[in-house]
Amino acid sequence: MNVSYNWLKKHVDLEGLTPEIVADKLTFSGAEVEGITRLGSGTNLVIGKIVSCVNHPDSDHLHVLNVDEGPFGVTQIVCGAPNAREGLKVIVARPGAKLPEVEIKPSVIRGVESNGMCCSLLELGVDGKFLSDYQKAGIEELPDDAPVGESDVLGYLGLDDAVLEISVLPNRPDLYALNNVAREVGCILSRKVTLDKIDDYPLAPSKFEVGSSAQGCPLFSGRVIKGVTTKESPKWLKQVLLASGIRSINNVVDIGNFVMLLTGQPLNMYDADKLPAPSLIVRDDLEGEFLAMDGNKYSLVKGDLVVTSGGKPMCLAGIMTAEECKVDENTKNIVVEAAYFAPASIRHTSNRIGLSSDSSLRFCKGINPHQAEYVQRVTTALLKTLCDAGEVEESVLYDTMSHEAKKVETDLSYINGRLGTSFTLAEVVDTLIRDYFAVETKGEKLFITVPEYRIDVDGKADISEEVIRILGYENVPSVLPYAELSLTGLTPKQQEERNLRRHLCHLGLDEVVTYTLVSKEEAKRFAYIEKGEPYVLTNPMTVDREVVRTHLAHSLLSVAAYNANRQNKSGAFFEVSDVDTRQRGSRHLGIVLYGDKPAELGVKARPYDFFDMKGILLSLFEALGIGEMRYRLLPWSLGGTELHPYQSAEIRIGKDLLGYFGVLHPSCSKKYDVRSCVYLELDLDALLSIKVSPIKASVPPRFPSVTRDLALLVPTKVTYEELRRELLRSDALIVAADAFDLYKGEGVEPGYVSIAVSLTLLSKEKTLSDAEVNLAVKKAVDNVMIRLGAKMRQ
Amino acid sequence: MEDYILAAEELRKEALARLENVTDEKGLEEFYVAYLAKKGSIPGLMIHMKDVADKAAFGAAVNKARTEVTASYEEKKAALAEKALNAKLLSERIDITLPATPTKTGHVNPYRLIIDEVTDIFLQMGYEVCEGRDVETDKFNFELLNVPKDHPSRDMQDTFYFGDDYLLRTQTSAAQAHKMSEMAEKKPIRMIAPGKAYRRDDDDMTHSHQFAQIEGLVVDKGISIANLKATLELFAKKMFGQKREIRLRSSYFPFTEPSVEVDVSCFNCGGKGCAMCKGTGWIEILGAGMVNPRVLEACGYDPEVYSGFAFGVGVERVAMLRYGIDDIRRFYQNDFRFLKDYPVK
Repeated sequence: MNVSYNWLKKHVDLEGLTPEIVADKLTFSGAEVEGITRLGSGTNLVIGKIVSCVNHPDSDHLHVLNVDEGPFGVTQIVCGAPNAREGLKVIVARPGAKLPEVEIKPSVIRGVESNGMCCSLLELGVDGKFLSDYQKAGIEELPDDAPVGESDVLGYLGLDDAVLEISVLPNRPDLYALNNVAREVGCILSRKVTLDKIDDYPLAPSKFEVGSSAQGCPLFSGRVIKGVTTKESPKWLKQVLLASGIRSINNVVDIGNFVMLLTGQPLNMYDADKLPAPSLIVRDDLEGEFLAMDGNKYSLVKGDLVVTSGGKPMCLAGIMTAEECKVDENTKNIVVEAAYFAPASIRHTSNRIGLSSDSSLRFCKGINPHQAEYVQRVTTALLKTLCDAGEVEESVLYDTMSHEAKKVETDLSYINGRLGTSFTLAEVVDTLIRDYFAVETKGEKLFITVPEYRIDVDGKADISEEVIRILGYENVPSVLPYAELSLTGLTPKQQEERNLRRHLCHLGLDEVVTYTLVSKEEAKRFAYIEKGEPYVLTNPMTVDREVVRTHLAHSLLSVAAYNANRQNKSGAFFEVSDVDTRQRGSRHLGIVLYGDKPAELGVKARPYDFFDMKGILLSLFEALGIGEMRYRLLPWSLGGTELHPYQSAEIRIGKDLLGYFGVLHPSCSKKYDVRSCVYLELDLDALLSIKVSPIKASVPPRFPSVTRDLALLVPTKVTYEELRRELLRSDALIVAADAFDLYKGEGVEPGYVSIAVSLTLLSKEKTLSDAEVNLAVKKAVDNVMIRLGAKMRQ
Repeated sequence: MEDYILAAEELRKEALARLENVTDEKGLEEFYVAYLAKKGSIPGLMIHMKDVADKAAFGAAVNKARTEVTASYEEKKAALAEKALNAKLLSERIDITLPATPTKTGHVNPYRLIIDEVTDIFLQMGYEVCEGRDVETDKFNFELLNVPKDHPSRDMQDTFYFGDDYLLRTQTSAAQAHKMSEMAEKKPIRMIAPGKAYRRDDDDMTHSHQFAQIEGLVVDKGISIANLKATLELFAKKMFGQKREIRLRSSYFPFTEPSVEVDVSCFNCGGKGCAMCKGTGWIEILGAGMVNPRVLEACGYDPEVYSGFAFGVGVERVAMLRYGIDDIRRFYQNDFRFLKDYPVK
């Protein structure tokens, strides 16, 4: 809502205040002023009259003027405006004048002295949207009666105004009316408010009919006014509209807008002689086409509120009048409509056809439904004085609304208790009365009547808000809440999750955050852990963000792609995030490694591989205290073209799939344009739900261990894990079997792989003898030879 | 007879003088052989013992020579050793400005840093963490929070819907409604709910269809705005510095009554006015208010007995202010060159 400070000043005593002070106060009490705009600005201005105008001797478009500036004498000015001519009254910026864009100095233009500038309104800072093309092309032409020598030019033009841009909160639609802004300002500044007095005129009986069959219109007031004359609006009215951001059209239309700005009630005016019948009926059951006054056709659907006459649509309620009954320069008799239309209906129609206006905006926010007759009186008075209106009929009214004033009962201790303050009864009562509430008291009890325009207030909590927003939050003390001590903090699962995130960071991974919404196609891929049906948006913004993700893979691989494309040649990062399907929601962990594992402490950079990810996974299990008997890593059996079928693994807890990891399938790698990329995703909820055995202290061995290295040739179909298990179960003395070299190729017979294993042997009872060690090692070798077909390497 | 004593004294002086001129280990070794070794000249004096009458005086003179020369020799030896070590160390000098051997520690999206930091502050104040989910029902996101069916914010313009009943939550306040309605016994609550929220905004420098909020809620008997003010003051000081102050401005949210916007004194200029605070000295950081009695009632708490306050912090906004991040989309792009500034805490 743009409020003219000059207009406001007419209704509230603002003596000694500035727009900035008023704006600040409003902002703190809940009507944020987002900006203050001066309509026009400029110093050292004067109204002058061009007494002579000749062409510049050295230019084809410049003129040399002599301008009579009254007490300042006659001055020579060089001017380039095409409309400069003898006899014209103009705005002159004298030497030293500061305009929004320039400062005026005496100068010599192509050999001719110039002592000032004739101005257009644009040069005084007036927004071009309020000016005609003619005004923008040349200097401003003042009327013949403009007083030469007048130096308060901005005042003369009505441009000495500041516009307060108030951001009206959804609960205060009453502030879309100047009347109420004036009351609000008067209240918060404790200043006197004077609203316009309305003259009444004799009313003739009316035969006009109004009505509504639509639930969205419970109130409709109409008044027939005859014999209006359409003409240009007076200067004061144009200035009010200009400051409020509305263009002046003619006096009748302008009055409609003015009344809306003043009261918050949008009006509609119909040419009474063009209506098919002497009636206006609101309906919401029409379908078909509607030719609006903007020349466009709009389709009507059931549910749209339409004002009809003789069964034909005359107005798309609250939004736009029909072409056939609009008021124009030939209009004589009019019907003035002041109605209440339900916010949801207007919003719905306005959104559907993409049309909104100052009127529809007010209906959408909710208007005061208790002032229809007042609005008709205001309108009539203006039409009488500005449009020479003749006979005025009494209003006809359709009304099914209750107009009983709202009452609220509360007491002082409730208000102080809610605010944490210790205001006295007198302070509270005084504040509410200033705020136009009627208050009766009985002891500390307050019986409050809410002003009709405050449609937002209906309970005692609202009353406490009124008190504090007016008295100011600086009056609230700071008191920490009191509570009994108890065990609080993160739940064990929350703590584990946080530890896990830190753990991954300390391993050198970055933590990222990505968008939840993905495309339908992406949601179908990587469907390994979550198999449920995805949530698909009814109203997506784009096809790329249509579905709630069921996995993190696409989001994270897109981060890899984004970075790889920006010279970040390698990366290691993860995200912990919820995923959802219609069947269940869970939290996932996704990890990406791509490009080269960076060089560190004597190790050269090399491409990331499966085992880097395996190392991260095992370190997670270890950090969480999950022993190797709790999970199984199995070769990939889930198919698909996302992961490399022979360099991927499933992570299973019992039979359940906890997650998976592996090298990207070449087709997937190509899609995201990343190389050496390994991906892991697992169900974090399930991971953190794995029961962890309590820690039991182990005793460090008392006797030394012995290591022996074996060089074995093992059939390729045997896994390392099978070999290790066989070695370990061969003899109780063998406590560890770790591979330290793997070789396939020249020197190794086909079908075999050469594995060097280091066995660790240990006894709890004694230091082992060579014979005991040799025996155990022999048993191990025999065992893997028999059971796995391994051979000793020669 | 005294000649021998004199000779011992002369030898001592000579040895000490010569030792002065020794500059390296080789010279020191020669010196040792010449004077102190078994066959050296000082022990060699002892062969004269038999010729000396005042054996005690002679013995003392020899002893003095040996002790003093040995002590000086040891001193010299230590000095030379130190000198040699220093020379060796000098030869090992490195250029400490050469690049480090990488030992990578991960970085954290600043969005997570803020969530963890804010969470910690409220954990220290005895709050619990309740997270909620992204996919919500109309009931918990709107109805229970006093956002009636025809409220503008429920328009298709703002909310992502899945049919009629399900939607992506538009605010973490939904977690409030869950916590309150799901309390079997209606006991006091102190909770925060960090999480994601979604609105149908076009992504640009300051808007994002997805963003994070941290919701706070305290419900108890006798909770007032004064409690809210003190809590948020504590929070602002911990988060933005001990010298920070806050101020409350009247505002509107459907789920709180009264509602306020909370400004913190500018942590860039200290309140004098700068570009960051647009010259006002204050920066808007969160919205808050007293829980609307209708919300309490809808969630099963008797508003005549219980009252509460709630607040909501915009995570990206705080991060952008704190770190000077220029564009909200950076949080979701995760460019490593952006992340590198935020080490894990």
